[in-house]
Amino acid sequence: MYFSPNAATILHKCSMPINYQEIYTQIKQVGQGAKERRKKKEESQELAQRLLETYSSQVDFLRSKVDSAKTADANIRCAVPLGEALASHYPTPDSATQATLIAADGSQSIADRHSPVQFCVINVGAISMKPNSGETPSVDVESELFFGDAIEENGLTTDGGVALRRDLAERSVIERLSKGLSAPVVSFTDGTLEIFRAKDIDNPSMYRNTVDAYISVLSRLQGRGIISAGYIDKPSSSLVVKLLELTQITIPEEMEKLRSTPPLKYVTDRWLFGYNNKLFQLLPPGHRSAIFKIQSSSEKSYKGVLELHFFYLNVGTQGHPWPVRVEIPRWVVDDHQQLDLLHAVLVEQCRMMGSKPYPYLLHRAHETAVVKNEEKQQIEQLLSMELRKNNEELDEGSNKQSAKDLKGRTRM
Amino acid sequence: MNHQIEIGRLLRAGTTGFIAGCRVNQLDAPSFGALVRAPLSDSYQIYGLIHDIHIDDDGLVRQLVTADGVSDEVMKDNRERRIVPVEMSVLAVGYEQDGKIFHLLPPRPPLSLDMIYLCNDKDVVRFTEKFGYLRHVLNAKDAPIGEVIAAHILQAGKAWKMESGKHVNTEGWIEKVTQEVITLLRDDYPTLMNVLGALADIS
Repeated sequence: MYFSPNAATILHKCSMPINYQEIYTQIKQVGQGAKERRKKKEESQELAQRLLETYSSQVDFLRSKVDSAKTADANIRCAVPLGEALASHYPTPDSATQATLIAADGSQSIADRHSPVQFCVINVGAISMKPNSGETPSVDVESELFFGDAIEENGLTTDGGVALRRDLAERSVIERLSKGLSAPVVSFTDGTLEIFRAKDIDNPSMYRNTVDAYISVLSRLQGRGIISAGYIDKPSSSLVVKLLELTQITIPEEMEKLRSTPPLKYVTDRWLFGYNNKLFQLLPPGHRSAIFKIQSSSEKSYKGVLELHFFYLNVGTQGHPWPVRVEIPRWVVDDHQQLDLLHAVLVEQCRMMGSKPYPYLLHRAHETAVVKNEEKQQIEQLLSMELRKNNEELDEGSNKQSAKDLKGRTRM
Repeated sequence: MNHQIEIGRLLRAGTTGFIAGCRVNQLDAPSFGALVRAPLSDSYQIYGLIHDIHIDDDGLVRQLVTADGVSDEVMKDNRERRIVPVEMSVLAVGYEQDGKIFHLLPPRPPLSLDMIYLCNDKDVVRFTEKFGYLRHVLNAKDAPIGEVIAAHILQAGKAWKMESGKHVNTEGWIEKVTQEVITLLRDDYPTLMNVLGALADIS
């Protein structure tokens, strides 16, 4: 070890993963900034509260602000109120209706250039349950393997491309499982209803084709009256906060301010709808918020009955609010029975998980779908054996990976 | 052909015993103290006594118990759909080779996924005619010896009774096996008292 004279840095010659001395100093600096951050946050939160109180019922004014902002920047992403006051809330409806619930989740193993064999697996797990029926839920798994040229042809060379394909597969499995089921059927997946274009997707036509296929699936679900939703746990977006921010800027002159110095910078929707909010509580346990439309550039793809909307839902308990965001298409918004059923189902599903509310079926779908490392290795072995059997040349794993795979120290 | 009651498949094995797994809905058949067999071929099978049955929990089950009430559907999902087998620990107590029974440790353990069957009354009577297998139970370190012996004697006693009309000399089997246990444990008073205490419950 030796000491640098100019800084309190100890440079290690032995191999340690982290320079804890450096990290510790930086951590202490983070702590020192806490007071300033708290002050800024509180100021933003107080402003948010005032704006909410002022504008909650001024729905027409808020919509006009969104329209102006859209004209100035078509890519703006925010909430659009329909007719309800922003601070509206609705209790959990009674759900005596017998429904079939379907949840699906996808997992993937993407091609690893360090492996001897390049392949990609997309695995979707789905589980169907009829509450109050006494029937055992049924589980379905759909696994798709991509090898060789098929990886590039399907745009699966990037994480974003694989995620896109996975999202399509999840909704497609729901569509397949819902065939022949009598209404009502409530389906949900983890994540947004909208499928996003990640920055690393470099194939525009592949992206377009996938979105078109997804829209077709959604349309077929709508045609069959299947209630469809996307459940977002611990949402990070601030669509409603962005809406409130529009009231504080002059449009179009100050649009750039929304990006550079947003008026409610330290406020999130999650706080607004209850989490860690010591100023007010909009949503009692089990209550949902008003419905909002999503204003975003993707509205070109999701039109008519597929238009994307959302609401916030407090799936927590008294004193422990846990707001989540639920995305729904317009066909669910327009049918109050469907909306109420979805609301009741999600609250019930979250209650099943006890102290950490999350829809039980979504967790089970995830459990069914997840591709573990040992499974990935088994597939790699099987594929290697098959290729060798058919006299196909195999590559080797990289030396970098081989070194990473070396066992740590052992002790006798 | 005798009706065979499958109770599970082998998960892992050694010379002195093995662990079998089954689904929760197969749990009606196997019971603590039951005599089971694992056929490895037409002429070779291993006999064992079930000395433990357990069901592991996992994170999801632990979280579900914190909820107010668990619905029937969730219970069925966990029992029938989730990959959580019931595990039965079996103590090897002998084997059969070419129709002859040996109360020795088997020369080879069963293999992964070998089917495990419950012994029928005839198999139980054949195996328990002599008492050499008891020493494996009494020497077992991780098994509740008294309880295993008592449960086994209770079940085997019923098998002997069922076979009593079939020209089998069943007279006093329970008394004879109890006497054998006392003889084997004459120098181990604490274990003997433990076993006799358990046997008292079945008399």
